Amino acid sequence: MKRTPMNTRQVAKGDRAFFGISSAASFFTLALVFLVLIFLSFRSWTTFAEQGIKFVTGSTWDNTTNPGTFQILPMIVGTVLISMVGLAIAVPASVSVAYFIEYMAPPRISKIATSLIDLLAALPSVVIGLWGMMVLVPQASEWSGLLTQHLGFIPFFRNTSGNTLGSPFMAGWTVAIMIIPIITSVSREVMSRVDKELISASTALGGTNFSTMRRVVIPTAKSGILGGILLGLGRALGETVAIFFVLNLIFDTNWYHILEPRGGSIPSLIVAKFGETTPSELSALMAAGVVLFIVTLIVNMIATSIVQRSEKRMAS
Amino acid sequence: MATLESLPRPNGGVTPWKVRSRSVSIIIVLASAIPAAITFGIQKALQVPGPIALLLIFLPIQLVSSWIAAAATRGRRGIADASLNVVVLFATTFVSIMLGSVLYSVINWGLKAISPHFIYQNNVYVTTTTSLDYGGAGHALLGSFLVVGLATVVAVPLGIAVAVYLTETRGRFRSPVRFFAQAMSGLPSIVSGLFIYAVFMASGISRPAGWLASAALVLLMLPTIIRMSEEVLKLVPGDLRSAALALGAPQRRAFFLVIFPAAKTGLITAILLGLARVVGETAPLLVTTRVNANTNVNPFSGDISTLPTYIFSYLTAGFDTGNARAWAAALMLLSVVAMIFAATRMLSNQK
Repeated sequence: MKRTPMNTRQVAKGDRAFFGISSAASFFTLALVFLVLIFLSFRSWTTFAEQGIKFVTGSTWDNTTNPGTFQILPMIVGTVLISMVGLAIAVPASVSVAYFIEYMAPPRISKIATSLIDLLAALPSVVIGLWGMMVLVPQASEWSGLLTQHLGFIPFFRNTSGNTLGSPFMAGWTVAIMIIPIITSVSREVMSRVDKELISASTALGGTNFSTMRRVVIPTAKSGILGGILLGLGRALGETVAIFFVLNLIFDTNWYHILEPRGGSIPSLIVAKFGETTPSELSALMAAGVVLFIVTLIVNMIATSIVQRSEKRMAS
Repeated sequence: MATLESLPRPNGGVTPWKVRSRSVSIIIVLASAIPAAITFGIQKALQVPGPIALLLIFLPIQLVSSWIAAAATRGRRGIADASLNVVVLFATTFVSIMLGSVLYSVINWGLKAISPHFIYQNNVYVTTTTSLDYGGAGHALLGSFLVVGLATVVAVPLGIAVAVYLTETRGRFRSPVRFFAQAMSGLPSIVSGLFIYAVFMASGISRPAGWLASAALVLLMLPTIIRMSEEVLKLVPGDLRSAALALGAPQRRAFFLVIFPAAKTGLITAILLGLARVVGETAPLLVTTRVNANTNVNPFSGDISTLPTYIFSYLTAGFDTGNARAWAAALMLLSVVAMIFAATRMLSNQK
């Protein structure tokens, strides 16, 4: 290749183009987030106008009347409830596994487990859904029955419907299995960045494994783990196909009876109703999508700022 | 600086603090075996349901026995450690069983249903009564490659350009761009599909088609590619940049001739992780495409099947050979993800 010397004007021009292209890509990406909100709000405007605040506080879904009644409170509550059940199972399990891989397992096992967890974190949710429906549900339905039978006096576990399938408990389990690898992967990464000399120092000063964990590992890794949990929460809130098959959609708000097959979730609602809809119902589904997006956006922004702050602190 | 790991150690790998006397070993074995035996006995005698026996009988007994063992070998200071060990091992076993069950079911059921022709044949003549000897998910595999490939072609240059903006330039909007790119990673996949639907389908621009699915996947892929590429580019030493610029290279040449080659393997890893993130996405494809029993090689028009929607459609159908086909396709999907991961491992080991 023949190189000709360039004069400064050419240099400036080329670099301006370089800067221009990368800025254009960045502004396009920035714009995409807002475009998503604007377009969906635009398409769902009729719903927000017609249903008003009742859209998020009422619990009737009826497309036979004109205009239809579309209210999604049971779905909002269901989405949150399922995510909470999922987190309640996934968080202790994930943090324990991360601790095991990082501090207890022999190096060989911990290396294999790390790769495996990273792979499982990318496991397609439809595969989890398939497993949930075919393998987990028969088992978990039994556990659900046992919980009602022995712990039914606690309001959480009461189930008067006589049916153990399709409850938020089932969906929560499925979601938990999906987000365990995600939270574990992040927590392990954060734990591996805890200064090894701090740990050695703690042990040398006579600390036990437990006190080292409590006074050194957890305080240092806390915000990173929290970021991982919120990442998992974001996934759980938006999860669609993994829980679609194991959850009943019933427009009856289920605040905390996790074993009763009532309620639903926003993404499941969208998938279930999307196929054959009236135009006004479609607009209502878009509106449900907007609500879901805003919720996950908030969760994710909190997660991002927590993780960024912890990274800054770790760097300094 | 001498770290603790690099300090001189006794020869022959002698680690006196790790030596365990025989009596301690016996105590540890007993402390693990006795609770299991007691639980097994109670479970057989009283017919307690398995999960209850595990949680309410085994776990407490195991905790107490580990406390006794710890107190006997290390005194009271060992008790907290023993609880930590028991709880962590219990949780880890539980997770291993659950995740192991996922992998085992996919591989086991998948292998039963899969056969060479399943990988390349399509679904045209398959009905609910067709045996597994005919038909396959070849068209869905091809569809997945087309849809995800198209998404990659768009998302990779865009994502890397954003990462370049974040690391190589002094643009004023770096922190908002970084923040919103991160926020985008929380975009629920179904919402991304709805967005594409609202823009292209509700307005009558297009019927369901592969490229709409690709567009939805771009939104999901971008945040991963941006974040990973940014980290990779940040790892390129600043001295290399300064050296290139000091030799008189314009910034773009410094990037393309020095920084980009140095970061190449890392960038490929970033792309592969982005691929792994979207190859199994189902929800946006359900909204923007329709399944097709026939092979469609044109992602720009017509119905197109992909592996995730293929699995989904057989799950909703719910008949025996359909379920078997879903498992086989799940195995194919899992293999694709595993291959992507093997590739990233190989790349990162190469360095």
